[in-house]
Amino acid sequence: MEMEEKEKDNETTRPSNARLEVCDQRVKIKKWHAIAQWRWDTGNNDPEDDGEGDVCGICRVPFEGCCPSCKMPGDDCPLIWGECTHVFHMHCLLQWIGTASSKQQCPMDRRPWVTAERKVD
Amino acid sequence: MSVSTRRLQKELTDIKRDGTPVGIELLSAEDFATWYLSVEVLGNTVYEGEKFALKFRFDNQYPISAPAVQFVVDDHYTAPVHPHVYSNGHICASILGSEWSPVLSVVSVCVTIQSMLASCKKKERPPDNDRYVSHAPENPKKTRWDFHDDK
Ligand SMILES: [Zn+2]
Ligand SMILES: [Zn+2]
Ligand SMILES: [Zn+2]
Repeated sequence: MEMEEKEKDNETTRPSNARLEVCDQRVKIKKWHAIAQWRWDTGNNDPEDDGEGDVCGICRVPFEGCCPSCKMPGDDCPLIWGECTHVFHMHCLLQWIGTASSKQQCPMDRRPWVTAERKVD
Repeated sequence: MSVSTRRLQKELTDIKRDGTPVGIELLSAEDFATWYLSVEVLGNTVYEGEKFALKFRFDNQYPISAPAVQFVVDDHYTAPVHPHVYSNGHICASILGSEWSPVLSVVSVCVTIQSMLASCKKKERPPDNDRYVSHAPENPKKTRWDFHDDK
């Protein structure tokens, strides 16, 4: 959400109205990409999955919901991807990475955690 | 409600809905601080016919911090005779210490311990059992384990 706002602001400083329109459209499409991507990347298409969708392996709360440290449902609770492709609530992962016993490793595969750059383009 | 309580509530719901793996049973989960589960090793193993109980204690950082897990030693249960299990019930298993991961759960710990028992060929106590048991802290998490590798 925030990103979209920022981009729009950038675009409005551009001189041409026509350009602004195009850019606005691009922004919207980008956002669609982002949503589609994270639903695929978590990639658990198990039909047995009783409609609960994908859950964060740390707190077991679906990604659609916020993590247990976020008290209010409306709180901004972003997801974070590792280069290993594993995904968690950012709050849950940071809590883990913040402990000495994590050795900064991904909880799923114990490889060193490297946050993936999510290119929206 | 603490983070650990919410996680344990989900685990309990899953156990009640999907059951537990063969040989593992939930004995009691009366609160979100202490749970008991029984473990049997099925098939042809050195523990044939024996049933053990595991006690789990959770702090409010669970699952970021590992649960304290030990075998119950009381009038009904004993600790299995195993090279990584002390006679006071404490277990030397890396997943309960340095290899703990917050994606593990009560059931996955039970399964790991069950397979640790299943692969045992010879019933014997750890070589330092007596020394350890006479000095061991009440909570096994307070022990600084030096994990022997299972080869
Ligand atoms: Zn989470
Ligand atoms: Zn959160
Ligand atoms: Zn990973």
